[in-house]
Amino acid sequence: MSFDVPLPVAVPARPATVPLLRVEGLTRHFVVSGTRIDVLRDCTFDVSRGEVVAIIGQSGSGKSTLLNVLGLLDTPSSGSYTFDGVDTTALREGRRSRLRGEGVGFVFQQFHLLERRSALANVGVPMVLGGVSALRRRARAKELLESVGLGHRLSSQPHQLSGGEQQRVALARALSREPPLILADEPTGALDAASSTMIMDQLIEQAQGHDSAVVVVTHDPKVAERADRVVELVEGRTH
Amino acid sequence: MLRSLTAGIVLAFAGSRANVTRTILSCAGIVVGVGALIMVVTAGDLGQRYATAFSEANAGRAATIEAMVYNPINDLAAYEEDLVRAGAQDVSLYQSPQNDTLFRSGDEAIESVSVTGVDATLSDIRRINLAEGRWFTEADQESRAPVLVVNQSLADFLGDQTELQMGTDRWIDVRVVGVSESSALDGDWYSAYLLRSPVSEEIIFGPSWDSEIGGFQGGGEDMGVTHLARVDPSDSAADQMDGGTEFTERMESARWRWSTDDQFEYFAYRSDFSEETDIVITVMSAGLLVIAGITLTTGLLGVLNVGLVTVRERRRELATYRALGASRFTLFVAVVMESVVVSVVAGIIALLLSFALVAAAGAIIGNFVALPPDITMTVPPSAVLVGLLSAAFVGLLAGIIPAIRALRASVVAGLRE
Repeated sequence: MSFDVPLPVAVPARPATVPLLRVEGLTRHFVVSGTRIDVLRDCTFDVSRGEVVAIIGQSGSGKSTLLNVLGLLDTPSSGSYTFDGVDTTALREGRRSRLRGEGVGFVFQQFHLLERRSALANVGVPMVLGGVSALRRRARAKELLESVGLGHRLSSQPHQLSGGEQQRVALARALSREPPLILADEPTGALDAASSTMIMDQLIEQAQGHDSAVVVVTHDPKVAERADRVVELVEGRTH
Repeated sequence: MLRSLTAGIVLAFAGSRANVTRTILSCAGIVVGVGALIMVVTAGDLGQRYATAFSEANAGRAATIEAMVYNPINDLAAYEEDLVRAGAQDVSLYQSPQNDTLFRSGDEAIESVSVTGVDATLSDIRRINLAEGRWFTEADQESRAPVLVVNQSLADFLGDQTELQMGTDRWIDVRVVGVSESSALDGDWYSAYLLRSPVSEEIIFGPSWDSEIGGFQGGGEDMGVTHLARVDPSDSAADQMDGGTEFTERMESARWRWSTDDQFEYFAYRSDFSEETDIVITVMSAGLLVIAGITLTTGLLGVLNVGLVTVRERRRELATYRALGASRFTLFVAVVMESVVVSVVAGIIALLLSFALVAAAGAIIGNFVALPPDITMTVPPSAVLVGLLSAAFVGLLAGIIPAIRALRASVVAGLRE
């Protein structure tokens, strides 16, 4: 036996990727004036960590309703939604709030920043809810704002910022508790082309660099093009 | 739970700071209401202290009985022992001299000095406020000259007190050991307390007094004696409604020890008016409390209204909190605590205004009336406590309904606004 021949090295098998969120047969209907409206019908898909998924569809196709369910702001009428191994359909309100606070970061089309609060204070809100001390909160918020290029606008209030800057504050806020899931509802809908590109770059960087899952609801083909995967909603059904 | 509570409080403080206009609007009603309450408690406290001081200085501490016997007493020591047996804890002579007492300082005569013969124990029965010198002591009994405590008006008139003389039929040197403070409780007239002692007994009791037997000789109208006796307020003899009957009966039962007169003429009554004062203060405070309560309720409704309006206006903000992970409890605490924070801030403002107002009132009143030395115009601790607690309570009440409304609101609908 020649010792010059390298011995075979055992390469561990890559574990099968466990999806961060799994949606199976999910439906959501509303009753308005006695009439049932089925908004989501039999939605099934999953999203893994590190993945950017775009949900596209026409207006009224149920995109925002789906996002609300994924963000634990709404409960499905039937079907199941498992988030990070937890079946969320049976969760009580307190647990849902905690899971939402710890596991989900929201980026809204209209930013939803708190008026008359500085960028620093806005980014700090999720950390207040998470019980982070004031000192650590401030340091972390500053770090995040610097990372989105707003280190010079720490004390600016929302009305003093441009749309792109506000969305970057919102993004920093969404990342403040390092959630495994970022949900973005038309994040570029109110922005110009340059700002849109910058926000998408940062969302993709978050997915790739921090192993987060990013779900973007959009009707913008340019945004959808940049996603790893596209889920299309047609009349409440996933395709 | 604790984290939610803490987060709610932090958000409440941040919200109050960020929404200054809302905070000021909410504050206004509470400032008036809490201020009114603080002023009521302050006025009640001041009235109580002033009335107590007035009563204690002019009529005696609770319960003081003024006892007058019109029969000639042939053993005053036995009579005073029986006053104690009848329930008196402290006894002092309180006798105006039978003959006019004149004073002079150098060549200058002073008329119309109201003299009262007393014992040193009077200070246990009545509040004596001294501006200078001291009150009588046991040692003053041995003095070869009558010992006096004069009031401020007389002291001011006398100037050099060392040359003071008094007399009924002849002048004798007297010694002034103290000056009682002039206050709103005194008039401008001249008055003096004369300590009962061997050298002053004849001045106090008149020519019928026999110091050998310690009683009066003969019989006549000029032989009445007046005492002040302080009894336990819970003693049935102190009952205002009783009118001194019980105390009189107790004294009558022992009359044989100190009087041989067949006719018993005795008059005893409760001379302090602490009970009447309490009733007046209670009624007055109740009336003022009702007014303050109405004002405070108006303030509460104001905060409630602002709270309800702002919760409606803040649906998007509150929904954002929920989306960022705030639980219902956190949101409830945040909304309620915002109301409490606003109310307590209003309470503090009301408190500061009350302090300023009371100080200004004290300065103005001080120009017209000299208050007793131990009565200062200030906001008492009880008013501070009542003011701040009521502010917090009103905030709590006014915050609950908007908080419940905030919880009922749909998060999804709020985010769409």
